Amino acid sequence: MSSAVDPKRQTAPGSDLEVETSEKPFPSAVELKPGGPSDLDLMLRIQSGDADAFSQIYDRYNGIVKALILRIIHNETEADDLLQEVFMEIWKQAKNFSAQKGKPLGWMVTLARRRAIDALRKKQAYARAEERFQAEPEQQPFAWVQNVTEKEIEAGDTRVLMAKVINSLPEAQQQVIELAFFQGMSQREIALHTNIPLGTVKTRLELGLKKIYDGLKELKDEL
Amino acid sequence: MNFEEFQNCARLYVIGALEPEELQDFESARKQYGTAAEDFINQCYGLHEAFALSLKPAKASDAIKERLMAMVRQRSQNQSGSTPA
Repeated sequence: MSSAVDPKRQTAPGSDLEVETSEKPFPSAVELKPGGPSDLDLMLRIQSGDADAFSQIYDRYNGIVKALILRIIHNETEADDLLQEVFMEIWKQAKNFSAQKGKPLGWMVTLARRRAIDALRKKQAYARAEERFQAEPEQQPFAWVQNVTEKEIEAGDTRVLMAKVINSLPEAQQQVIELAFFQGMSQREIALHTNIPLGTVKTRLELGLKKIYDGLKELKDEL
Repeated sequence: MNFEEFQNCARLYVIGALEPEELQDFESARKQYGTAAEDFINQCYGLHEAFALSLKPAKASDAIKERLMAMVRQRSQNQSGSTPA
């Protein structure tokens, strides 16, 4: 066995476990045109007030950000309004983005999710949103991937692969992750909502998130 | 809290699913594990990206971009106009 140290790994203090410290946390979000600016390039230009860079990042990610918002609030018009607010906030808050803490898309998605969940709670539309959710099974985030063909998977479409990882989870784990991530529920709220013991909710969340995290790391290595 | 437990909590933390009573222990462990903890938390934020990317992109109204660009250019003009020569 080799005793060489992998520079991408380090041991956590007080622990025998190794931590991945790869500079490429997860696969690239979208296919970039050859020679086109990276997300980070665009973000740095936005930080210096470049409107053209902002236009490009909007073109690149408005569909993904809107899909996330729509998944949370289940209303097309409100999703468009929020999309506009979120991108305006991206422009205003760009100076707070730090490449050391993650990728631009991760930052934008975190911001969008927070705004969408805030909006959902402000309107006290939980019940109505849930009704819409029940009425729109085709919008369930993980279900659609079942129609994905092997050919598409082989094509390496990042979105398909991500969804495949999530869809491979047991239904019980998908359910609690769905409620936590897309509805912003706490573990206690999930337990109340589903009549599942709090400890079971915690276990399912932990196991599900770990599987997704591990799955994405494997994808990273494949792509 | 050992590091594996910390990792489990970190995944919950980034999606806002840690309960208030768990937060204190998590923050203590975060300090204890230092840089390794921060690196791991930063990687966990990739989960947000993954969930978003698992969705089919949605079509946004063309008018949104027009309004956004108008606002952005207006703000840029205001800022450059208010800067002392």
